Amino acid sequence: MGYSSSLIQRKFRDIVGRRYESVLKEYSEFLLTEEEVLVPEVRSILVPLDFFVHDITDEAIDVLSAYDATISLAYITDAGVVELLERALNQSSTEEFRAKKEEYGRRLLDRTAAKLKEHGFSTQTRMFVGHKGDDVVQMAKNHDMVALCRRYADGESTDVSISPIVLRICQRVETPALIY
Amino acid sequence: METVALIAIAVFLFTYALIVDERIHRAVAAMLGAAIVVFIGIVPWEALLEYIDFGTIFLLLGMMIIVNTARGSGLFEYIAIRTAKLAKGSPIRVLVLFALVTAVVSAFLDNVTTVLLLTPMLLYIAKVMKLNPIPFLVTEIFASNVGGAATLIGDPPNIMIASSAGITFNEFLIHLGPIMVIDMAILLLMMYLIYGRSMKVSPEKRQEMVRTLNGLDERAAIVDRSLFNKSVAVIGFVVLLFFVHNRIGEILHFILPFVDPAMGLEPAEVALIGAAIILFWSRQSPEEIFEKIEWPALFFFGGLFVIVGALVETGIIANIATVMVENVGSTGEAMFIVAWFAAIASAIVDNIPLTAAMIPLIHDLGATMDVYPLWWSLALGACLGGNGTAIGASANVVVIGIAEREGVGISFVDFLKIGMLVLFVTVAVGLGILWLKFAV
Repeated sequence: MGYSSSLIQRKFRDIVGRRYESVLKEYSEFLLTEEEVLVPEVRSILVPLDFFVHDITDEAIDVLSAYDATISLAYITDAGVVELLERALNQSSTEEFRAKKEEYGRRLLDRTAAKLKEHGFSTQTRMFVGHKGDDVVQMAKNHDMVALCRRYADGESTDVSISPIVLRICQRVETPALIY
Repeated sequence: METVALIAIAVFLFTYALIVDERIHRAVAAMLGAAIVVFIGIVPWEALLEYIDFGTIFLLLGMMIIVNTARGSGLFEYIAIRTAKLAKGSPIRVLVLFALVTAVVSAFLDNVTTVLLLTPMLLYIAKVMKLNPIPFLVTEIFASNVGGAATLIGDPPNIMIASSAGITFNEFLIHLGPIMVIDMAILLLMMYLIYGRSMKVSPEKRQEMVRTLNGLDERAAIVDRSLFNKSVAVIGFVVLLFFVHNRIGEILHFILPFVDPAMGLEPAEVALIGAAIILFWSRQSPEEIFEKIEWPALFFFGGLFVIVGALVETGIIANIATVMVENVGSTGEAMFIVAWFAAIASAIVDNIPLTAAMIPLIHDLGATMDVYPLWWSLALGACLGGNGTAIGASANVVVIGIAEREGVGISFVDFLKIGMLVLFVTVAVGLGILWLKFAV
């Protein structure tokens, strides 16, 4: 640091004292950081669905419509539940459960895809038996964003809290996550 | 020359050298110098109370209380965001609007606080536009010094001159206001000619900036809506009171007949009344507000007054005045010398200590000539002289200091080149107008 530069810094310290730090703190409350200014490029969005997600909200669609992206809808039936039922019930009951689940899942996927198409989105659908947390984290690696319903993998609770699985997914994915 | 006079000169030069170098805090340097001249009896207690200009100190104190209370409401951040949005993505408009806002706010409130709160916003805008922030920052510095020169309360040299010479707020507005409007127009033209070409941005960048700035919510900057409204009201009232401070008795007499119509209020009284009102009305914790007062600055002023007082006590200022009177032929010549000496010396020493030393000299010149025009020459030179170098005025140091902390280097020499150009043009224009007014 040259003499003039250190002179300016000495004078700055004496004139301003600690006021600059507090000014910066005040500005940081409402000025976007450099990272926030950059609009991420989002080409594909993963939207996981399950028995507890009944719909995709209009507010979520509004946000997603800001991106020109393809939406991948994935209906996941929990592998643990299927395994438990296989052990507890006979073959035909398990098959009946699977068929009903698949029928429900297919209807939900078709309904959601139709709603998204109405808003101009192109969609892909997929249905499988797997792990609701791990599989979403894995699939998110091939997408630019994940949109999660707060009830995903939660149950039929009536409170407004966010499902623990959703929170865990948000902690683990590297892509931006939207909770609706 | 007597030993005490030599000691007074040595203390003065040593203290000013310490202030310029700033290895020791300026307030400590001034207090140390004052302590020496008091300790060896050059300035006795009775004289010390006379030399310390309480008009200046109380005016600064009152305005610091008002500004620090208002700051908590988010008023300055609100102004910064509104100004940024008004520019509509045009870099030139950003430069002009911020310069105008800085000049106007600096004219009525403390320059340091003004630039301290506007500079982060300018750096942010420059970053969004991916433009070199230096043109915006140097224009802000010049605008702050030019705007501050327009009013009695705009810049410490003006406060010191007004308090010592008994000049009113309106006299400042009449004599320096129009000059500063012209200087401001010239300054903007100069900045446009120097930097205009480097400020072209593509329509996409402009759109990006508009989008980013529109995303900022100025209402979010308002931390306390009630305090915000009260701050605006009190600042407005104080500014109004400054306009009529010397005729307040005439106005009050209509409502309160027992008030003497000849009564006037000193600017310091106006500031302290405003401070009392805002503290009472806003219900802010006085402890918190008083903690934010820049006490080092006030002690710096106090120390300077005593050190300069030592020069007066020992007859040095009177001797310099005598030499000056013997060699100066007319008021116009005196105006010329005072303005240019103040301008160039301010750029080197900092305009506050320079003004502190010049005021008693001009008082002494008053024995043989009309010094009224000289006060304006001093105000003009001291305020605009601050533009000359990076250390010429506090606003320069604050803006350049912030820029450096944010990774934007403005070298001393680069600033000197443009600062000296601005200094010479603005002082020459201002002095020309004053000369036509008082010396022709």
